[in-house]
Amino acid sequence: MNNTKLTVSHAPFWHDGDNLFKKNLNFMLALLPAAIFGILQFGAPALGVMALSLSCAMLWELVINLVSKKPATIGDLEAAVIGLLFGMMLPAITPWWLIVVGTFVAVFVGKMIFGGIGSSPFNPTLLGMAVLMMSWKMFFDFDTAYVDYEFAFTALAPLAAVKTQGAAAADLFTLGDLFMGREVGAVGATFGLGLIIGGIYLILRGYARWELSVSFIAGILITAFLFHAASPQNYAGPLFHLLSGYTLLGAFFLITESASSPVNRIPMLLYGFLGGVVIILMRNIGAYADGTILAILLVNVVSPLLDNIRPNALGRGMNNA
Amino acid sequence: MIKRSFFALSRPRLTYDLLEPDPLEPQTIPVPDLITLFLTESIDSKRPALIKKGDPVEKGQKLVLYEDSTAYAVSPVAGTIKMIDSYSDDFGAIATCIIIAHDPVRTSQAQSMEMSEDISFAAAHLLKLPGAPPFDILADENVNITTIVITGADTDLLTTTSQYVTTSHIRDLEQGAKILKQITNVSRICITLPESLNGNAPTASLQVLQTGTVYPDTLPAMIMKDHLDQILPAGKTPEEMGVCFIRAEAVVSLARAFAAKAYIFEKHVTLVDKNASRHRIKAVIGTPLSNIFSQLDIQVNDQDRIIIGGPMRGYATFTVHHPVTPDMDTVVVQDQRIIPKISDTPCVNCGKCVQICPADIQVNLLVRFLETNQYEEATDKYDLDACIECGLCTYVCTSQIALGQYIRLGKHELRKLRADV
Repeated sequence: MNNTKLTVSHAPFWHDGDNLFKKNLNFMLALLPAAIFGILQFGAPALGVMALSLSCAMLWELVINLVSKKPATIGDLEAAVIGLLFGMMLPAITPWWLIVVGTFVAVFVGKMIFGGIGSSPFNPTLLGMAVLMMSWKMFFDFDTAYVDYEFAFTALAPLAAVKTQGAAAADLFTLGDLFMGREVGAVGATFGLGLIIGGIYLILRGYARWELSVSFIAGILITAFLFHAASPQNYAGPLFHLLSGYTLLGAFFLITESASSPVNRIPMLLYGFLGGVVIILMRNIGAYADGTILAILLVNVVSPLLDNIRPNALGRGMNNA
Repeated sequence: MIKRSFFALSRPRLTYDLLEPDPLEPQTIPVPDLITLFLTESIDSKRPALIKKGDPVEKGQKLVLYEDSTAYAVSPVAGTIKMIDSYSDDFGAIATCIIIAHDPVRTSQAQSMEMSEDISFAAAHLLKLPGAPPFDILADENVNITTIVITGADTDLLTTTSQYVTTSHIRDLEQGAKILKQITNVSRICITLPESLNGNAPTASLQVLQTGTVYPDTLPAMIMKDHLDQILPAGKTPEEMGVCFIRAEAVVSLARAFAAKAYIFEKHVTLVDKNASRHRIKAVIGTPLSNIFSQLDIQVNDQDRIIIGGPMRGYATFTVHHPVTPDMDTVVVQDQRIIPKISDTPCVNCGKCVQICPADIQVNLLVRFLETNQYEEATDKYDLDACIECGLCTYVCTSQIALGQYIRLGKHELRKLRADV
């Protein structure tokens, strides 16, 4: 025992055992029900889109790590989550090059140029999606995307239908159909039940904050209800909005992305609520059928500002301080 | 080590270990051949030293380096000085260590002392009693102490030393509190105790502050906030605000030293081994930990960690020969396999630290300033000085950032910066 070389470090000497790998693994686990449903619904092309997207995102990060001569960071699975979410937001017939370009924008512009994990002011997945949506709008038209498919349900993208035909089109879809994924849309965003189960799992595990999800959903429901109440023939009801498009994916997996969201309770509640309000404003008044992507990117910007609403630290703001 | 629970909707709760109902007597560690003492003064080779290698020392003899030194150590054994050397702590502060070869043949009677109920006497002689009573602070005329809080509840996890000493030496504790009152003239003396030990509470003179079981309820700043209705201003010490914290063991030692008219050297320590089982021991101050380990049959290997003072707020020593010191309540031996990793992954803003911080600090923003050495900004905007160093943020950090280390370094650098101005 005389010359034992001990480990020395600073307190505390305990850790709860959590790490980024586990966090991101749980995110992917929570996404699985919706992703698997997407594969069942849209077939092998859906699997192809998600697999290519996931692997591309990880490869891009690895390439950027190598080029910038930094240690490889793909082990924390953050890129994998970005890639998987990205793939789940695309239609099943997306061309491969679009995915390669989109994941590059998401990982490089969205995440790596800001300094990698934790530093991105915008949700990287959404940044990539926004760029694709602006640049190649035709690939995001879910109605034309699935012309070669035969579905046993109304093969119309609900939000686009409402946008072009007015609120009456919402009656084409029962809420049960929307909830159980009997709609066309992005491969991983249609199965409402799966997304809700995954989201509740994440919240219970503490990997997503309930404040964000709950206030986001509240923002959507309240705003959509007000619109609907004011003019039922022009605007679809709140539950229709909640169950269609990217809404549920946004509520549990996109708005909860930690780097770009606030950390204090009141700011989180405001942030989520604001996100929900902006989405409905975009859908009902704006030019886009589904405003989720741009709305969340927009509230990302106010996140640091909102986080200024914080409690005084212990022993601060007192006369004798 | 307490791990994250599967469901983690709310913040985790770490609870203090409570004393078992019928605690066993501590195991006494025999006085070793070599005793190591620390002296908080650095060696200055230009000055004539009062002690040198080869000098004989008596049990209870006060050891001082130089004529005008205030720092001292008290030898717990009779013997000869074997070595005087420099020693540096985590932050590079230089101290002196004195190694004394114990001579068992010489009288084992401690020198008898004439005890005087006077604070300057206590500061000059009794600082090294087991429990390390802060008589130097109490004797300081610039510090006006109005409340003394005896910590009967342990301040870190795993340990039960304070609880054990409080409940098993209740008479000594009451007597010590009386002496304390007399020599300090402080009228308000309280004692912290976990609720479960309430039946053992000392009577009359002491006001009992019942502490919760959730960490960090018993830390000084929390005691002041919850029980004394005093918010500790950021950057101030409790002593500056008139509250002095003293270990229950120090009060007990004080009473016993006065009763015996001699110095007391036996320190109670809770030792937690690699299997997380607890040993309660009693060892003479200066006993190297390696002696205790071999006595208890604890094998310490390379890359294991020896933690002195508890898993949340203690420090890791670099040597198995680190001696028992007057302020050492807890020793934890951690196997290298369970030492948590720390990483240099940046903060991901998950907010768990903010959720758990008892001082309401924006740790996620603070760490960004600390990582870039901006200590002034960290203090002015993000409350570096409000941190009570409980360690909870580091415990929950998803990115496994060594937040505690950053914060302590930040405070240290800030003190240097402000001292330079």
